[in-house]
Amino acid sequence: MAKTIAQEFKKGLWDEIPPFRLVLGLCPTLAVTTSAENGIGMGLATTFVLVCSNMLVSVLRGIIPSKIRVPCFIIIIATFVIMVELLMQAFTYGLFLNLGIFIPLIVVNCIVLGRAEAFASKNKFLPSLADGLGIGVGYTLSLGVLGSIRESLGSGTIFGNAVFGPNFQPFEFMVQAPGAFMALGLLLCIMNILGKK
Amino acid sequence: MGDFTVLIISSIFINNIILAQYLGACPFVGTSKKMETAVGMAGAVVFVLTMAGMITWIINTYFLVQLNIEFLRTIAFIMVIASLVQFVEMFLKKSIPALYAGLGIFLPLITTNCAVMGVCLLNVQDELTFLQAIITSAAYAVGFGVALVLFAGVRERINLGRVPSPLRDTSIGLVTAGMLAMAFIGFRGMV
Amino acid sequence: MLASILFTLGLGGACGIVLSFASKVFYVYEDPRIAQVENLLAGANCGGCGYPGCSGAAEAIVAGKAPPSVCILVGPENVAAIAEITGGEAGTAEALKSYNECMGGSRATDRFIYQGVNKCSAVASLYGGKRDCTIGCLGYGDCVRACKFNALAIGAEGYPVVDYERCVGCGACQAVCPKTIIEVSPMSARLMHLNREDDALAPCQQTCPAEIDIPRYIDHIRKGEYEAAVNTIRERNPLLLTCGRVCPHPCETMCRRAIEDEPVSINQLKRFVADIEMNSGKRYPIPCASDTGKRVAIIGGGPAGLSAAYFLRRLGHHPTIFEAMPKLGGMIRYGIPEYRLPKEVLDWEIQGILNLGIDHHVNVEMGFDFDLGSLIGAGFDAVFFGVGAWNDYNLNIPGEDLKGCYTGINFLARVGKNEPIDIGKRVAVVGGGNTAIDCARTLVRMGLEKVYLVYRRTRKEMPANDVEIVAADHEGIEFIFLAAPNRVLEDEDGRAKGLEYLRMELGEPDASGRRRPVPVEGSETVLEVDTIISAIGQNPNLSFKQPGTRLDQLEITRWNTFEVNPETCQTNVPYIFAAGDSQTGPATVVEAIGGARRAARAMDQFLRGKPFIGEPRALLSQKKIGESIFERVPGIKQTKRAEMPELPVQERITCFDEVDLVINEANAMKESNRCLNCCRLCYDPDISIDTKRPAA
Repeated sequence: MAKTIAQEFKKGLWDEIPPFRLVLGLCPTLAVTTSAENGIGMGLATTFVLVCSNMLVSVLRGIIPSKIRVPCFIIIIATFVIMVELLMQAFTYGLFLNLGIFIPLIVVNCIVLGRAEAFASKNKFLPSLADGLGIGVGYTLSLGVLGSIRESLGSGTIFGNAVFGPNFQPFEFMVQAPGAFMALGLLLCIMNILGKK
Repeated sequence: MGDFTVLIISSIFINNIILAQYLGACPFVGTSKKMETAVGMAGAVVFVLTMAGMITWIINTYFLVQLNIEFLRTIAFIMVIASLVQFVEMFLKKSIPALYAGLGIFLPLITTNCAVMGVCLLNVQDELTFLQAIITSAAYAVGFGVALVLFAGVRERINLGRVPSPLRDTSIGLVTAGMLAMAFIGFRGMV
Repeated sequence: MLASILFTLGLGGACGIVLSFASKVFYVYEDPRIAQVENLLAGANCGGCGYPGCSGAAEAIVAGKAPPSVCILVGPENVAAIAEITGGEAGTAEALKSYNECMGGSRATDRFIYQGVNKCSAVASLYGGKRDCTIGCLGYGDCVRACKFNALAIGAEGYPVVDYERCVGCGACQAVCPKTIIEVSPMSARLMHLNREDDALAPCQQTCPAEIDIPRYIDHIRKGEYEAAVNTIRERNPLLLTCGRVCPHPCETMCRRAIEDEPVSINQLKRFVADIEMNSGKRYPIPCASDTGKRVAIIGGGPAGLSAAYFLRRLGHHPTIFEAMPKLGGMIRYGIPEYRLPKEVLDWEIQGILNLGIDHHVNVEMGFDFDLGSLIGAGFDAVFFGVGAWNDYNLNIPGEDLKGCYTGINFLARVGKNEPIDIGKRVAVVGGGNTAIDCARTLVRMGLEKVYLVYRRTRKEMPANDVEIVAADHEGIEFIFLAAPNRVLEDEDGRAKGLEYLRMELGEPDASGRRRPVPVEGSETVLEVDTIISAIGQNPNLSFKQPGTRLDQLEITRWNTFEVNPETCQTNVPYIFAAGDSQTGPATVVEAIGGARRAARAMDQFLRGKPFIGEPRALLSQKKIGESIFERVPGIKQTKRAEMPELPVQERITCFDEVDLVINEANAMKESNRCLNCCRLCYDPDISIDTKRPAA
């Protein structure tokens, strides 16, 4: 493991940024990015679960028998998901309502389980923390960018502030399902072009 | 009876689980490259989702609500679904090996399929009765299968075409899915 | 609080109980080793092993249906670990590599319109489109897209180029290729491939008895990839230094370039790359398949025996060569004189073959030092005979046993062994074949006053290679045609003092198509010579065939050669195979190599216990695909072939230095660019071949 902790963190921001490089966690990506705020909120909630579960899995990696490791990971993740759910209900009720069932669904977000299985169960505490944080921040950024694009085109605003002036006729289409798929597809295409150099 | 027809139609087409509700997008993209895989996956989802809808409804109504511990719903559901998938896998392997050969490899994928978990949560959210819950779950699963198989068919053809390289694979797949979603918006007028 | 804790524990417990109960009720016995093996596999589910995913592969390994090395991605330590679990032997998988046999071209796209679909297989499935071009890459790059390991790219010439370092041999490219051009095959499958009627075969490759992929190696030379060129030749011919010097190159006579100007100097190019390897000071690595533990006795260390040993070793078997002479090489050491094939070169080449891990014994002769029984007793699984044709025919004239009379091969072998030979001053060599010419040219170098070559027909009928005849002429050998030896005259010491011959006329053609010579009555003439060498042909010495033994049951043709199945080189005794001169009668080195490869292929099938068949669609060199349909090849700038440099006559007749020299690199480039790359490049008469092909 020649990689430093900083490198583990950085790879989540570009090299393995979800959901573009790792095509995982698509459902929340598509569902909650109707606005930049929702996207970032979802990203932060996922980051919290990702970091906490990565840490705990890494600490417990010697104890959990490998045969039942996946159910154990799921329980760990579910615990943190309930925590985040209750926290959001208490402090950011509006966001909690907006995100709806997608908060409990973090538990089945393949990114979280994927990192626990692929990284945290094989690495020490600090790299796992850095990995979780990096992937989480990358995911938050992606959701934020996608949310901004969809919100600005679909509602004419970003974080609730109007961007195109009063005469702008919003593309209703962008905040609906077809817009979600297409925006993500085209963003992926742009990422491919950038990645190719 | 008419209510059930509406429920089924709206669950399959109007509120299609992938194209309108955004649930199960990962397997939708992942298993749609080949028609054969798509059909297998669709079958497995129908099977598991119906069962999961049934059992989670029972758990929710008779335990969580009764004991007033709804906040444990997530952990309870995921445990039940994971166990159910395991159980189904073992059951099929022993009792119906032919079906296992067809669906078996897709079963583990379903544990982390948010469509299953999502539908169970939606059933609770919409406060459906037991019968409604079963029918909705099955209809959603059929909707998933329909979308997946349609999408796989389109995708197989697209892969024959000359797609600009940055758009290739998942990228063009998502754009296509967008168009499919647009087509499904057309069903809104049905009910 | 209590309720929630109890509920969670209860639910967890219930799930656990139900599952453990279920696992008992629905228990299906599965070998525990399957899970262990699966953990050691790559888990990529790539399908490279041919099983549906890694669990399928693990099941097959445990069931013994697949070797532990079936996974193409895991390293040797995992293979060893798997072998430990299953209790089998590790073995090592032979590396599969992509192999692109086409240089591209666009004939198919020119001829067929695909209506906007960019793949001919797509057309086939959508419209039942026609695609009858059996070769010719369309350059759409499906293979490049299919490759998960970045081992393929579309090269400058518009066809896929394989990066052999990255290729893992998963076969994805082969699966998508609409034209079956790119293929993934292990090295041994390529070694075993015989020319088939449905292969795309250039005329030269069809004609070559060893079936060398000539256009491919010429293309490598053109691009300066000398190692690749050598490796391509080595898939068919282990004796490239030797063949580059002595091969009569039948391939060149069929070269399509000759329709417009002159054939490509194919053999010169082979010698050029072979010499580059030798002079580079290192040997290019030669891969061998994983060990099978089977042992084969090779009787005779000549070109056939060496080649058979080489191919068997590369296929994973363990050959041992038994040679009666003091050194390996057989006819190419003792029958071909130093000035055509320096011993130093031959030693280097033979050492390269032995370096693969081939045992050999010299000075041991079948029937004297050992016999078939002792070989079988020593644990050999098959026996290959490549004993050559070392028995000179006698002239059957009075006086041929006198002092000063020798026979051709015997004479050459004694010169080769540096034995003292009593030769006089004037010599007559009888015969018109290569052996006769070799004897005559050797004698010139030994400083004789006069060397005659006596042949009973005319120069046109001489079976020797034309270049050899010309060289002999240059070196001052006097040809006496239409002369049949009648008797040898004897002097008072019991030594030959002259050869009396009858002059002949050509009569009606005989069975071989050559006009039969008829003696002219009363035309006896005496040639004053003190040494006579008869070199009128040979047949194999099969004296080891003792009555009452298994060997006695071997079927022998009326030419005293082994009777074999031409496709498998198997004799009527199933574990005995034969090739080379002892099977074909005196022939060329390259024919012996081709026969040895067919024999090695059949022996491999025999040793592995596979269904033992020849190649049903084999295109043996005797029955070629018809002559070229081309009457002209437009678009070619006429250029002369590269001339072979030679040692000047005055210099060469005084010593045994090598006469033919190697062409230089610039000429090799020029020559390789003259190749039309038949069957590798779509030919388009409207575009000059030189403009179509970017310069290397």
